[in-house]
Order: sequence, then structure tokens, then C-alpha cells
Amino acid sequence: MNADVLIIGGGIQGCSTAYHLARSGASVIVLEKDYIARHASGVNAGGVRLLGRDLAEMPLSKASMEMWQLLDDILEEDTGFRQKSVINIAVDEVDIATLKARDKKMQALGHSHERMIDQAELREILPHVHASCVGGAVSDMDGYALPYQATNAFRRAARRFGARFIEGQALNHLRQIGPVWIARTQDKTYEASTVVNCAGAWADQVAMQIGDNVPLSHAAPMLMITARLPHFTGPVVGAVSRQLSFKQFENGTVLIGGGAKGFADRANNTTRLDYAKLARAAKTAIEFFPIMRSASINRMWAGLEAYMPDNLPVISPAANADNAFHAFGFSAHGFQMGPIVGKVMADLVLTGKSDFDLSAFRIDRYDRKTL
Amino acid sequence: MTYDCVIVGAGPAGMSAAIELANAGARVLVLDRAPRAGGQIFRSAANSPLSDSGALGTDYTAGSKLIERFEASNAEHLSEADVWHVGEDGTVLYTQDGIPRTVQTREILLCPGAMERPMPIPGWTLPGVMTAGAAQVMLKSDAMVAERAIFAGSGPLLYLIVAQYLRLGVKVAALVDTTPRRNYLTSLPKVPGALRSWPMMFKGLGMMREIASSGIPVFKGASNLRVLGQDMATGLEFGCREQQRVMSNHVFLHHGVIPHSNISRSLGLSHIWNAAQHCWQVQTDAWGQSSVPHVSVAGDGAGIIGADAAQSAGRLTALNILKRLGRLTPAERDRKASEDHAVLAKMAPFRAFIDQLYGPSKCLCLPQQADTIVCRCEERRLQDLKEGFEQGARDPNALKSLTRCGMGPCQGRQCGPIVSSLLADWRQEPEAQVGYYRLRSPQRLLSLEELSRFQSRPRGGAE
Ligand SMILES: Cc1cc2nc3c(=O)[nH]c(=O)nc-3n(C[C@H](O)[C@H](O)[C@H](O)COP(=O)(O)OP(=O)(O)OC[C@H]3O[C@@H](n4cnc5c(N)ncnc54)[C@H](O)[C@@H]3O)c2cc1C
Ligand SMILES: Cc1cc2nc3c(=O)[nH]c(=O)nc-3n(C[C@H](O)[C@H](O)[C@H](O)COP(=O)(O)OP(=O)(O)OC[C@H]3O[C@@H](n4cnc5c(N)ncnc54)[C@H](O)[C@@H]3O)c2cc1C
Repeated sequence: MNADVLIIGGGIQGCSTAYHLARSGASVIVLEKDYIARHASGVNAGGVRLLGRDLAEMPLSKASMEMWQLLDDILEEDTGFRQKSVINIAVDEVDIATLKARDKKMQALGHSHERMIDQAELREILPHVHASCVGGAVSDMDGYALPYQATNAFRRAARRFGARFIEGQALNHLRQIGPVWIARTQDKTYEASTVVNCAGAWADQVAMQIGDNVPLSHAAPMLMITARLPHFTGPVVGAVSRQLSFKQFENGTVLIGGGAKGFADRANNTTRLDYAKLARAAKTAIEFFPIMRSASINRMWAGLEAYMPDNLPVISPAANADNAFHAFGFSAHGFQMGPIVGKVMADLVLTGKSDFDLSAFRIDRYDRKTL
Repeated sequence: MTYDCVIVGAGPAGMSAAIELANAGARVLVLDRAPRAGGQIFRSAANSPLSDSGALGTDYTAGSKLIERFEASNAEHLSEADVWHVGEDGTVLYTQDGIPRTVQTREILLCPGAMERPMPIPGWTLPGVMTAGAAQVMLKSDAMVAERAIFAGSGPLLYLIVAQYLRLGVKVAALVDTTPRRNYLTSLPKVPGALRSWPMMFKGLGMMREIASSGIPVFKGASNLRVLGQDMATGLEFGCREQQRVMSNHVFLHHGVIPHSNISRSLGLSHIWNAAQHCWQVQTDAWGQSSVPHVSVAGDGAGIIGADAAQSAGRLTALNILKRLGRLTPAERDRKASEDHAVLAKMAPFRAFIDQLYGPSKCLCLPQQADTIVCRCEERRLQDLKEGFEQGARDPNALKSLTRCGMGPCQGRQCGPIVSSLLADWRQEPEAQVGYYRLRSPQRLLSLEELSRFQSRPRGGAE
């Protein structure tokens, strides 16, 4: 099977890239070893947030946020996106100082989407928050979407423009012969002039076949979701210095995260939970919101996510091959970036350039000239 | 210090295994969520709330002997200990008195028993409809019965419960038997083999005679069942030569049992599709050892074999675990096992006959009408799933993510078998090809507060 572009990985980055490329008329094949959105992109917390982003990511993240607001119309699909403010709670003066320092930097750079709130406003927005919380920061542009649905929305929209999605086929072997990339799976061969590596937690393995070494690691952040509860919070909630993150969906279920990590078994395509850490997350949630005490946990899970040492993604042409590109290593906040990353990758593939400064995301940023 | 073996489930299989292991000097812990040992068949047999528990049958009362032997053994038993996670690493998490605790063990033995096969006929989720097994649980544990109930479906357990009701003098509105008439013919070749277990055949026939002579209406070969009623059950409509209606506010459904595979699934053990029994079961060898060597499964939880066979299977599995623990040589294990192996071999033809005679009909396993509910928790209907399938969700997990079928509080424990078989039907591929939901711990809802009290130091760990 032949195409102009072969994308490895059917997560949100692969699907979004396929969509933007196919819309521009390129012929595209997406190769996915399991099924579309099986991993991080389908099981993440769905947070679509600017709040607390690394400044290096801010321009991309902002552009992505603008796309999210219109995404359902653009794709003619339902991504489940809802605009909801996101709040980072401060529990003490140290937290307030942290927020103030960030506020100053943000203002200097001209970013105005985050604002600090005091205790009274915090209490007003979150009536059930524990009385000892002193304030926080809010971003009103943020929100959430439904991960599995949103990733598949890109897939379906891409398919309407002719992109082909091959599920259940793992890339085993990749090499470039002259101008052609030849990719082999267990029983098929694919040829394309360009490859895009969107292989998530496995992307270092694909990068190596392209010729690029990269210090990627992987881990398994955990989440739990409750059975339906009466509505008690509108905004998505996090904390400045504690492992807390949760949101209540329209159907009443509450998703609780916070960054606690389970055990990642990448070779076996699976994860294991660390219950002691989940118990701590439960305790933290109750401390902040005593009303959650009697909530029933329905399900707990973890997803395999790719991390770079600086927690910034790789969005980059290959360093050691032509006509190869990378988009991976989103370090637990890549769902929000999906829409714009696809656009950037399509631009890179089709024109060799991007409107964004991508220097912080180069694949070879950890290469040292000397030892 | 860790346990040599932790057993989940104190039914016939778990108790028999525990006795064998404890007698050989192994350190055994048995966890069961019930207040007393006994399992499904011997539920409350040792402390029956019924004034005349003899009405439940001699099998039932005989259970108290096994329970006594179990309680006299050196096996530790924690009752009201609800297991909600079993890890491949030998960690078992359970909650007792509202506090989640952990134990560590070298060998894990799962004896979780069976559950009733879901029967998604129109109206099956209306209040007033429950499984016949649930009705029996109420009878055994709380001496509660429903007057003038309709029993519908097929299989020995259904007839047993009807007989137990009748013996207690409770009025039964009707027995609506869905066993297809042709099954009586197709199972005939298996009768000679089954007669090797003639006491069982005899007991079964006796029960059928008991029901026939009681004079309750019995409708044989019934099909196209539909529970009547808007907000609650008011009766059952079905075809039996002509369209029939029986009115009642209690409809008890049952068409066989299937292994309880939530724990074995969450553990990621290999499972196979058992075509003869039309259900998934964990893959084990002749010693109950699963695809993970230090995890064994015995009793109905490893494949439906019935209570007598479950005791043999429990002992065999225990013998193999003793071998694994170095307490028996392979030769000793084989010698001690020969009798139980023979018992199981002798019972197999009877089981094959029952499986053939009462094999569930496809139209009762799969919802037939577009608006029949498949997933109670999220109220997903056949049409919602069909739509998801047509959008490209061919895998049970993809379908779950897309439609939320199986994402509610029961986590797909009810709709799992239905979804797997529906996809097999639509894909025109065997269930084995289609697969099953990826299940996860916890095995049940856990309150946030309960989880926050988790004691991560293992029981007996400080020694
Ligand atoms: C629990 C959790 C919570 C999160 N919460 C948020 C959040 O709230 N907000 C946010 O913005 N981000 C969040 N994230 C991060 C976000 O989910 C990821 O950054 C993002 O989904 C990454 O997308 P991806 O396409 O790069 O990777 P993936 O979704 O992992 O996709 C990569 C795909 O490549 C396939 N693949 C790999 N190797 C091969 C091969 N050799 N051949 C074929 N296919 C291959 C894999 O099977 C996989 O499907 C969270 C992540 C997790 C795990
Ligand atoms: C509802 C029902 C009623 C039945 N009634 C009869 C009957 O009257 N007569 C008959 O011959 N057969 C009956 N059967 C069939 C019966 O299951 C078997 O014949 C026999 O009981 C199997 O023995 P076992 O040891 O494999 O499992 P069981 O006897 O079912 O024992 C399993 C035990 O495991 C415990 N358990 C399961 N999961 C957990 C967990 N996560 N945490 C803690 N404990 C757990 C249960 O509480 C139970 O005590 C019934 C089956 C069902 C489903």
C-alpha cells in the first residue's frame, strides 16, 4: 500500500496530523498497532487547559485553544468540548507567592488569560472548597473534552478527506531506500515518501528506526472516576502545590487525577495501579472537598504516556533523515495541543516550515557536541 | 511474613481446597464477603433463618458438614471480607469493617463461583424482575419469598428454586420453560453417558415430577418472552403454541450460570470461549493452574461443573499448589489426586448432557429488539450499540469507549457477555476472535473515604 505520508500512531497527534494533511490533499495512511485512541489519547483526563502551561508551549497552546472553541464545527463532529474555567487552588501564602511570581512573568510576556483570585472569590466560585484555602488562579478560556470521542472525531473527519486508518498493525521495521520509506508490519508492507512519528510512549523506538536517538521515558499516570453525584462544582479544579485535579462532567461523574503514577509496562502494552498512591489522592480530594467523602469510585485506570526530561514535547523534523518528522513526548499535557500539533505537522510536511518557533521542541536538543 | 495461599471464596471449591492445604501444613487464608462460609449452594446452610431448611433439599443440609470441617481446620477464614483487587504480584486487597486492607501471598486461588447468565428480554430491567438466583438468595439468607411469582427460563437451578418454593408452600404463578423442544432430541445421545451419574439424573427427574404434580401452570417450549409493564413488571407475555400472558408483579428469570470472571479478567489471565456451555471461562490446566502459574482457579469460577465437582476440583487444585509450594512431590500429588480425577471424569458425561439439554437459546442471550436495554447502568439499548458498531467500533473496548456501554457502576459485569456475543454475531466471527472488555479493579464501587483509609501494610506483615 502506498501513500504520500505514513503516520505511525493513531493517538490524537496522529489523527489530527492525518486530518490536516488529508484536508490539504495529501494521501495519508495511519498505522496503529492497537485501535485508534487505545492509549493516552483515549484514556486521559480530557483537560483542555492553558492554566499553568510552560511558557515555551504558550503560543502553540493558545492557538490550540482557539481551535478547540470551534473544533466541533470545523470537524463536523462532537468532541464533547465544554468551556469551563479552570482553577488552581492556593492553600497558603507560599502558594500565593508562587502564583504571584508566575503572574508577573505572564504579564511581562503579554499573556492575560490567567488571573489571580482571593479567598472570597474562590469561595464564591467553589462553595464546597475547604475553608482553609486562601485563593488561587483562574483561566476562563479553558475547558475539557471527551478524549476518546475527540480523537475519533479527527479520525472520522480525516477519513472523509480520504485518509486511511489501519488498526491492529504494528510497525516492526522502517527504513529509507532512496526517496522511499518502507514500513513493514507483521504481514504487510507500506511505502511513503514521508513518515511522521506520532507513536506516543513508543516513539523513541520509532525514532531510532528513523535514525534519531532521544531520551524519552514513559510512565502511567492514574485516574479514577466516581459514579454520578449531584452537581457541586462547575470549574475544573487543581491545586498549586498538591496533587489534586478533578472535574465534574455533565452526567455528574467526577474524574479525579492529580498526577500520581502507577506502573507502566510498555512491553506488554499495559499498566498496573498503585493503590497506596490512589488512596493518597482520595485523601487529598476529601481534604479539599469534604463533600466528596461518600462519593463512590467506579473505575480506576492508568494510561501510558511519553515524557521528555524537560516535560516539553518533541515537535520537529528528524535530525538524521530527510522527509521524516516527529510529534511525541507530550509529558501528560498533550491532549490540549492535539488540534494545533496536527496543523504544525502538516505545515512541516507540506512546506518544510511552521508559523511557530519550534526551537524548544527540537528532537536533538539533548544532543551534546562534546562529552 | 506472607501466606502460602490466599483463597478468594468459601464455597464448596474454596472450602475443600482450604481443608486440603491446611491439613498439609500450609498457611492459608480464605476471604469471603458472606457472613458465613458456604458459597452459593450452601449459603447460610450452617445458620439458616428458615424453620424447616429441609425444604431446601438434602444437598443443602449436607453442606453444613463441609462447613463444619472447614471451620475446624487450621485455615484462617475472614468473613465479610470483600475482595476488590487481586494483583499478579500476590497482593490481595479487601475491605472488612469499612477498612481496606492488604495481604501478601505466594499462591493465589480464586474460587469465586458462578453468576447467572444475563437474559436481556424486553422489560428485563423493570422493577419486579430479578434473577431466580437472587430470589433464592433472599430465601436462603432472609427467609423472604414472593407469592405468585412467574419463573421463566430453563436449567436445573431454575427448577430447583421452583421446587424449593413449592416445598415451602409458596404459590407460584407459572413456570415458563424456554428449553427448546428440539433439545430433548439433540441431547438424547448423551443420556447413556449421563446415566453413569444416575443419582443426579434421578434427583433431577424427581424435581421435575414434583413440579408437574404440584399443579402449577407449566408452559414448555416458550419463546418470544416479554415482560409486561411500564414502570414495574405486571406480567409476562410469550409464545407457547399461541400467544400467552401470565400476570404477576414478580418475574424471576434464569437460563443457566456462567463463571464469575471479574477477578480473573482484571488479573489479565487468559480466557477461552467454551462453545458447549456458551460462555467465557478462564484457561486452566487439569490442575486449575491459569496462564499465570502462581494463580489457580477452581470450582464454577473456572468453568461450570456444579457443587459436587467443585469440591473435587478444589482438592485437586490444592494438591497442585502443595506441589508448587514444595510440600508434595509430583508423584505424591498424582497419587493423592487419582480419586478426585476419577470423580470428575465420571461426572463429565452428565454435565455434557445437561449442557446440551439446557444450552441457552441465542434469542435469549442476545437482545432481539432495537429498544431492549443491554447496559442497565448507562441505559444503552441494542440500537445504540448497533450504531456504534456501524461507526467502526468492532472491538468490545472500542464500543465501550464510544457508547459508554459497560462504563457504569457495574463496570460491564452484566453486559460483558452480551456485548461480546453481539459483536461476534455482527462480525460473523467467533467470540474468541472478538474478545472481551478489559476489566479493571476495583471489583465493586469503593467510596472515596474507604479508599483513603487504605492500610498499605500487609496483614501479618510486621512479624
Ligand atoms: C491518565 C492521563 C491523563 C492525562 N490528562 C491530560 C489532560 O487532562 N490534558 C491534556 O492535555 N493531556 C493529558 N494527558 C496527556 C495526553 O493524553 C497525551 O499527551 C496525548 O494523548 C498524547 O497523544 P499521542 O497521540 O502522542 O499519544 P498516544 O495517544 O499514546 O498515541 C500513540 C499511538 O501510537 C501507537 N503506536 C506506538 N508504537 C506503534 C508502532 N510501532 N506501530 C503502530 N502504532 C504504534 C500506540 O498504540 C498509540 O495508540 C494525560 C495522559 C494520561 C495518560
Ligand atoms: C445465584 C446462584 C444460586 C445457586 N444455587 C445453587 C443451589 O441451590 N444448588 C446447587 O446445586 N447449585 C447452585 N448454584 C450453582 C453453584 O454456584 C455451584 O454449584 C457451587 O456453589 C459452586 O461452588 P464454588 O465453590 O465454585 O462457588 P460458590 O459456591 O459460588 O462460592 C463462591 C464464593 O466466593 C465468594 N466471593 C466471590 N467473589 C468474591 C469477592 N470478590 N470477595 C469476597 N468473596 C467473594 C462468594 O461470596 C461465594 O461465597 C447456584 C449458583 C448461583 C449463581
